[in-house]
Amino acid sequence: MELVQNFPFMSIILSLFSGPLCSILNGKWAKRVNTAVIILVGAMSAAVLVFVLDTGEPFIYRMGHFPAPWGNEIRVGVLEAFMAGFFCVIMLLCMMGGAREREQHIEESKRNLYYVMVNLLLCSLLALIYTNDLFTAYVFVEINTISACGLIMIRQTGRTIEAATRYMIMSLLGSGLLLLGICHLYAVTGHLLMSNIAQQVQVLAATYQYHTTLMVALGLMSVGLAIKSALYPFHAWLPDAYGYSTLSSSAILSSLVSKGYIFLLLKIFYRVMGFQVVTESRVVNVLFVFGILGMLMGSVNAIRTEDLKRMISYSSVAQIGYIYMGLGLATEAGTVASIYHVLSHAATKSLLFVAAAGLTDASRGNHFKDITGAGYRNKLAGVAFTTGSLSMVGMPMFSGFISKLFFAQAAVGHGVKMLPTFIALAISTILNAIYFMKTVIRIYTPMPKSEGRTISIEEQPSKSAALLLFVLLNLILGLNSEPVIRLIQSGLKMFD
Amino acid sequence: MDELLLIPIGLPILAGVVLLLSSFLECRRGVGTIGVGKGLSIFVSGVIGISAVLALTAAWQGEGEARLFSLLKGIPVYFRVDEAGRLFVTLVSIVWLLVTVYALAYMKEEKDGKRFFGFWLLLYGVLVGLDFAGNLVTMYFFYEMMTLASVPLVLHDGSRESIMAALKYLFYSLCGAYGGLFGIFFLYRYCDSLTFAPGGTLNLNAVQGQEGILLTAVFVMILGFGVKAGMLPFHAWLPTAHPVAPSPASAVLSSVIVKSGVLALLRAVFYIVGTDFLRGTWVQYGWMILSLLTVFVGSLLAFREKVFKKRLAYSTVSQVSYILFGLSLFEADAMTGAFLHVVFHAFVKCGLFLTAGIFLHCLHRQHVEELGGIGKRMPVMLWSYTLLSLALVGIPPACGFISKWYLGLGALQSETGIFSWMGPVILLVSALLTAGYLLPVSMKGFFPGKEGKAAEIMVSEEETKCSFGMLLPVVLLGGTAILAGIFPNPLIRYASDFAGKLLGMKGLG
Repeated sequence: MELVQNFPFMSIILSLFSGPLCSILNGKWAKRVNTAVIILVGAMSAAVLVFVLDTGEPFIYRMGHFPAPWGNEIRVGVLEAFMAGFFCVIMLLCMMGGAREREQHIEESKRNLYYVMVNLLLCSLLALIYTNDLFTAYVFVEINTISACGLIMIRQTGRTIEAATRYMIMSLLGSGLLLLGICHLYAVTGHLLMSNIAQQVQVLAATYQYHTTLMVALGLMSVGLAIKSALYPFHAWLPDAYGYSTLSSSAILSSLVSKGYIFLLLKIFYRVMGFQVVTESRVVNVLFVFGILGMLMGSVNAIRTEDLKRMISYSSVAQIGYIYMGLGLATEAGTVASIYHVLSHAATKSLLFVAAAGLTDASRGNHFKDITGAGYRNKLAGVAFTTGSLSMVGMPMFSGFISKLFFAQAAVGHGVKMLPTFIALAISTILNAIYFMKTVIRIYTPMPKSEGRTISIEEQPSKSAALLLFVLLNLILGLNSEPVIRLIQSGLKMFD
Repeated sequence: MDELLLIPIGLPILAGVVLLLSSFLECRRGVGTIGVGKGLSIFVSGVIGISAVLALTAAWQGEGEARLFSLLKGIPVYFRVDEAGRLFVTLVSIVWLLVTVYALAYMKEEKDGKRFFGFWLLLYGVLVGLDFAGNLVTMYFFYEMMTLASVPLVLHDGSRESIMAALKYLFYSLCGAYGGLFGIFFLYRYCDSLTFAPGGTLNLNAVQGQEGILLTAVFVMILGFGVKAGMLPFHAWLPTAHPVAPSPASAVLSSVIVKSGVLALLRAVFYIVGTDFLRGTWVQYGWMILSLLTVFVGSLLAFREKVFKKRLAYSTVSQVSYILFGLSLFEADAMTGAFLHVVFHAFVKCGLFLTAGIFLHCLHRQHVEELGGIGKRMPVMLWSYTLLSLALVGIPPACGFISKWYLGLGALQSETGIFSWMGPVILLVSALLTAGYLLPVSMKGFFPGKEGKAAEIMVSEEETKCSFGMLLPVVLLGGTAILAGIFPNPLIRYASDFAGKLLGMKGLG
């Protein structure tokens, strides 16, 4: 076994143990440790990616060298390694972008605790990406929930405590359903390792045994993860949680946490249940319908809201809807489009959050009226916000356009689902254009007398750097999508 | 693979980015950027000159093609030279060459010259890319880039009015483009390929049973691309956005960029969907009604408008819809007229806006009433203006007559019921209105009457001195407007061949 093959496990353990380590350090050192860990994990993921691309096949890492079906496994293919690396990049940029807000919003004595949470969150995300064991996945889902709650609550206002409680309740409901689903699966298959379950499910599906149980299990797991990733009717917790927490929290929550659950769902679809079984079940249709509803209702809500951060949060609901719509198409092309949109949305949404913070910094408040002319007071944030908006509404050159084209391409020739997809794409694009362009117009409307202060690029170097890198990432994804798509496609081939 | 094709697209874009970066750095260092230095003039005219020559060579040399990276599987960024591209590239290049000469003189005393010319170069590259685009997705890509690159030209002077106008322009254009994108999604499903082919690539077997939905999609597409061409009901941005830009920018906006909307429609309808599918459907009639309405309403609004540049902008609304009407008839003569009008209107409107720029820049007059008696001070200027106006009205021998003749002829020959005679009538009424809103400026200019004399005296000798760089393009355009009307034959031959090719393919396929 090569050294590189230990990296996935090492990155999980590294981020897991750096969490407690941060609790005994002071805020400044905790921050350094956290940054170092993210960079290190990112580098290791990149090394793993290179290795997997080189060998061309996934590898399995047995923990403690216990063979299946008893031991716990990590399974790494192209997609897993790529996702891990990408998540690290986004997380690093989010932390860079939100550094100043953390100092404002978090008490001095609690600052190190924030980094504990971020490290644990990274650890759980990595585990969700890499693990090949359904129960391990469940355990890390819980760790993820707890640390996400911490991230919301650490900014101590009444609003955030309420939001965190809401998030907690909805999230626990989601993980409860997930657990129930896993229990059902365990009962009929007798396994917890994904590959072993998959074999048994194939046998059961072929003989049509326990069909109802299987479907119930699939349904429970899908709904559980849908709640946790804020699919439309279960999104009530989202705007508060993203809207009121400190900047790096909302950016990380919106761009990474929900995506971790989606990745797990993808794993359950492909690796546990087998894509065949999932396609034949009706669950995908339900996801498709709710995805479309989310695309529309999320945007409608975003149009109605008057608060910049909440508007961006509601737009997340719409974008999550896109992803579920792609999954709901139940074709490989649809899945590829969804995964691409996961990347595109992660890159764009965190950009928008950071840019919006830059704009509100230069204004009196979050309210829509306050940000009039903010694009002149904070030039870089204005440009970055415009870039993010253009990407969200699907302007060519930016990543959002490519994902929209992919969704349309995936829907082509899909019989029943084609027309709804096209119409939903069109309407949601126009809706997106309405609220994002409204905001862009607002921030570039000249103010007779300036309220708020002017912020230059040098004033907040880390935020400016983060914004520039985000914009760059968006352009790369938008102009050079083909290699990324090839990675996703080869990753999906190794997936099941 | 023909690399020659990529240079006129890439070079101006690259040069534009370099200029913008340098203007950004200067801005950060706090160096004022008022005026246009010698170095800048040489750089801009050099880049435009080289790329225009290369673009024209590439266009007339043959059927070059170039394929870049793939945006999606099976959809590369793909350029190819064909008749439509050749026509539009020639137009864009000539207009750009002339207006660059003008702009270099015009921007001498304006601020942020570097930023202006940065976007100026960028926009030229994007337009050439748009004209050479070989498939629908590439075209869409450049179409949106064009919007983005032209917005900074509109808001150049940074006043509240111009910024709001630019944002209005941006919003309308984006929503319009999404109408187009919506259509592209559908065409992707029902067409054999999205690569342009005269006569269309629609797979009629695939459409069977779903005609209604496809027709709706095509209509949305027509409306969407029609936004850029200023077609009703989404024309409101045009009279707001075009006049506030610096005059050279309004000249290219009104003469070339609105034509990109026409090009997009042409590409979508004649190269992808095909006329067979649309002939006689409600989409065709809807398109005709909208374009005729626009012709009429645009002229009417222009007639009422007192601000000179706004009047010209409304006139653009009306005149571009002449072209759209010509295309909507699906008739060879009407299309010949439409293509001729594309060319003529581009030159004429460009010249008119440049004239307006001279009035504004040298005399600081923007209202039509203030222009009495300028004929004495600036005779060359006003003569050119008069010739251009005659051309736009369509009085022989000026060029507008020929295009309108073909448009009317085509409408009468087309079997479209009531429209075959309604069309020419509305075109005539609108021509009268055109005369009504353009010619009074010449009349008052040459024969000011009593109250005009007073205004005339106020114009001092000093003010009327207008630099040669600004006069030359206007005079050239004025001369072209007449010459093209006297010797139109090569152009007519090209246009009618082209129209025949677009419509004639249906017999073979």
